[in-house]
Amino acid sequence: MSQRVPVHVEVNGRGYDREVEPRRTLADFLREDLGLKGTHVACEHGFCGNCNVLLDGAAIRSCLMFAVQAGGRSVETVESLAGSDGELDELQLAFTEHHALQCGFCTPAMLLTAKQFLRENPGVTDARRIREAINGVICRCTGYQQIVAAIAAVAQAQQTAHSIRIETAPPVRVAQDTR
Amino acid sequence: MLAGGQSLVQLLKFRRCRPSALVDINGIPGLDAIERRDGELHVGALVRQQALLDDPQVAESWPLLREAAGFVGYPETRRRGTLAGSLAFAAPWAELTAAAVALDAQLDICSAAGQRSLAAREFFRGPGETALGDGELIVAVRFPAPAPGTGAAFHEVSVRHRDYAQVAAAAQVSPDGHGELVLLCVAPTPHRVDVSEALTRDDAIADLLGRLDPLDDVEASASYRQRVAPVLARRALRDAAERAHRRAPA
Repeated sequence: MSQRVPVHVEVNGRGYDREVEPRRTLADFLREDLGLKGTHVACEHGFCGNCNVLLDGAAIRSCLMFAVQAGGRSVETVESLAGSDGELDELQLAFTEHHALQCGFCTPAMLLTAKQFLRENPGVTDARRIREAINGVICRCTGYQQIVAAIAAVAQAQQTAHSIRIETAPPVRVAQDTR
Repeated sequence: MLAGGQSLVQLLKFRRCRPSALVDINGIPGLDAIERRDGELHVGALVRQQALLDDPQVAESWPLLREAAGFVGYPETRRRGTLAGSLAFAAPWAELTAAAVALDAQLDICSAAGQRSLAAREFFRGPGETALGDGELIVAVRFPAPAPGTGAAFHEVSVRHRDYAQVAAAAQVSPDGHGELVLLCVAPTPHRVDVSEALTRDDAIADLLGRLDPLDDVEASASYRQRVAPVLARRALRDAAERAHRRAPA
């Protein structure tokens, strides 16, 4: 099974064309073929969640999917979060402020999984829902409390930003029927 | 045969199966439909487990399917893993096998030789063993609609939250008092129990279950499963009955 097949994948907004063995997992493709080592592999059979990446915006296990299956689709890895100047994004800053990592091994997967949750549920600070969202990613250091706090802090900031937008929005003009 | 890959890719990695070729069916059009057809819920082979949680028709009319799906894996694995794949893999702890048996699902099975249908109640043969022959593929799973107002509940115990079930109980009760109860891991296949008596006599469950033939493995001992099964069965039937009353029109 060493025959290679061409695959085109968009990763972090950039298109990549590579030839891969069909049995190459998406995780190995990202790490070994693209050199994006932010995606971590631990158990490599779907339990720990450390290899989570976003496929078309939704978190999946990159160790249980073949790279060829990602052909024509869009992948986001942890490398997409910080700006090109290295400036951390809001979730990364919150993880820093709330001490949401110790060894840091699960952090890329936690960040991406939380990213999707906050995109789909902006402003949701409910710890139960946050825990449900990240329950597929195992962290062996933190006990999760600080991770939940960091995600809730970003959700809180989303609420505030949303209310400021409402307050500063120009008054809505309603077309008047003058007849 | 590769659909969601959430079980198969594990097996490949453990070298527990070494196929000479793998066919990815994800590109086949028409297998990803989840819809009501002739009063039944039709679930195509590529419908992900997560769709059972997101679909409003499932929530409205097939509540047991939704309750069971909530216990399957993690959000990340549910987005790839399929209902049909979970049934074909037939893990003894697979929550959706219990729902399929309780709901009397029909499996549409296709091969080069033709098509056949088989009831979920005749499909499971043992842990990891089914009636599926070589070259056969489940193309759809069909669920008859329960009576309007049917209540459902799913209970499970596991060592860790969302880990493999040690014992699980799926129950549904219709407003006219007809009940279904299916237990997992207390027999080699999903274990359907006649509960007509249990619904009127609350203390009857343990007698009714009697001497089971539970799995004895690293997740739990057979004697533990024997003791826990009646507790979960009672809880599931009680909750399903309560929800049936609540859902029934006044």
